[in-house]
Amino acid sequence: MTTAAVTDKPAPAFRFNKFGTGSLQLDLGILLFALIVIALLAQWVVLDESSLDGNLRFRLKGVGLTGPDGIFHLFGTDQLGRDLFYRVLGGLPWSLGISGVAVVCVAVIGTFIGLIGAWYTGVVRTIVLLGIAAMIAMPFLVLALVVVAVVGRGFWPLALTMGFIAWTAVARVIYAESRGLLTREYVLAARLFGVSKWSILIFHVLPGLRPTILVMGAFFFAVLLIIESALSFLGLGAPLNAPSWGNMLSDSRQYLTIAPWMMFVPAGAIVLAVISLNLIGDGFAELSRKRARAVEV
Amino acid sequence: MTEIADTKAPAGQPADTQRNDAETIPVAKQTAQMLTKRILELLFLLMFISTLLFFLLRLTGDPAAVMAGETGDQEQLELIRKQYGLDKPLIVQYGVFLFKLVQLDFGSSLANAQDALGLVMERLPTSFTLVIIAFTANLIISIPLGAWLGSRPDRTGRKLAATAVFVAQGIPGYITGLLLIQLFSVEWGLLPSIGNQGILSWIMPATTLAAFQAPQVVRVISANVAEAMREDYIRTARANGAGFNTLLWRHALKNAMLGATALIGAQVSFLVGGSIITEVIFAWPGLGRLLVTSVQTLDFPVVQAAVFMIAIFVYFAITLTDIVFLFIDPRLRRQRA
Repeated sequence: MTTAAVTDKPAPAFRFNKFGTGSLQLDLGILLFALIVIALLAQWVVLDESSLDGNLRFRLKGVGLTGPDGIFHLFGTDQLGRDLFYRVLGGLPWSLGISGVAVVCVAVIGTFIGLIGAWYTGVVRTIVLLGIAAMIAMPFLVLALVVVAVVGRGFWPLALTMGFIAWTAVARVIYAESRGLLTREYVLAARLFGVSKWSILIFHVLPGLRPTILVMGAFFFAVLLIIESALSFLGLGAPLNAPSWGNMLSDSRQYLTIAPWMMFVPAGAIVLAVISLNLIGDGFAELSRKRARAVEV
Repeated sequence: MTEIADTKAPAGQPADTQRNDAETIPVAKQTAQMLTKRILELLFLLMFISTLLFFLLRLTGDPAAVMAGETGDQEQLELIRKQYGLDKPLIVQYGVFLFKLVQLDFGSSLANAQDALGLVMERLPTSFTLVIIAFTANLIISIPLGAWLGSRPDRTGRKLAATAVFVAQGIPGYITGLLLIQLFSVEWGLLPSIGNQGILSWIMPATTLAAFQAPQVVRVISANVAEAMREDYIRTARANGAGFNTLLWRHALKNAMLGATALIGAQVSFLVGGSIITEVIFAWPGLGRLLVTSVQTLDFPVVQAAVFMIAIFVYFAITLTDIVFLFIDPRLRRQRA
């Protein structure tokens, strides 16, 4: 492999041409995710204050029925007669928002700590590596549970808790990658020119990490979405009356025998979102593998 | 600026010389090294978690008020403060707290005054067994399936199967659990859906738990096998007349497993996290459900004891996996020093 070819600034992570991005998975993933984002935007338009209210006279009704007040229930209603279609839509800001904020925190903290560990040697690196190794073993659902219990529930406590707990795997990968990048010739050249530590890390190392951050970001988005729903499912996530998908699943448990759609609707939403993010992650990974192979040849 | 010049050989670790010699380090020595490392990590983790809990609890409010609950009046608060030493300066409290931790004294449950550690230990075996069963089931299913998918990834059948695995990966465990209950308990009435009532009750929780991570293991192993099948030594073996099955199961899979080691070790951590949700779904009398209930009732002594035991259990399991792989794979003895 010629190192000279890699010294250039990395190309953008993906580019659209008339056939899409060049990775079927990424195309599908982006398409699905775009639909989810459109739904997210649409819910601010479609939903007004009354649409999440229930009508107790029309509770636990099946898919595709029209209620006494003339409202068409596409996905049926729940135990309080609330329309499940509207609730799934209303859950988007909770489920996507919390995991979205958390994934940004994860990416920033993970990258920062990984870079610090890669740049310094000695005590700093030992502490960083020890910290990562120790924290990574702890199931983060356990940690999140405990911390949320103390700091309280709600959008920001939940998002920040998850963000501050889940960064370890990202930090470990970023650390390994940046150790590699720091031995490259262009980094050496920059150092010989007297470029400062932070300039090297931000302008010379960070761009090379972009594919990795994108791949991990997509996967972690999915993981955090699952964890957020899990916490809500356990009754320790979003506030109880919030239409978060985990809360909806949790409600559905008592009605599995008579109203299975209460489970299938939020479950479907979670699965779709997770699959779209996994597709995007896989697609990014495939593209960067292809590019690496192209450089090697 | 010179500090990264010697990144490859940190002082005090003769890692490079050993790697260059490519000598096999004695298993005993490496086991000892790894044990030291793991114990250090565990101590660091326990220290970190307990400090975090200690300060979070005091930063975010008055722990006495939390313990007293909503009904506590001023007199009760004073009593609680005195009883738990909360009237002393923070640093003294922290010292006392750490001293008690070292003795594994977590205090007694705020809910029923039982010994917190005792409560946790009582629940540990059920959860432990559930995790072990799920872990074994996961490997028994995932490894052959991954190898099969990876051996001829271009065939239509396997492409379809790989897609199915991909979709399965997108289904969180709690949904799998609810689906299983819906099908086997509600629709067909075959299996009990709650509690531990004999051998049949183990099936659904174990399946749910195994399904949390199985698709990921399948995908990693299949990718590794696919890569191994393109290696030169496989071509050599084929040229020597080895059959396809020998190639796959004897040669390629062995190498593919090495890449999956880290993942399989990390499985334990995921499984323990997953067991919490599984136990809640199936009303299982395990540690995870105890943790959730204590978190909901803010029973901090029990929460702390549970978190400690979980950390120790996970570390024990990870270390065990590491040692097993150390004995299985001679390359690990050579590479990681």
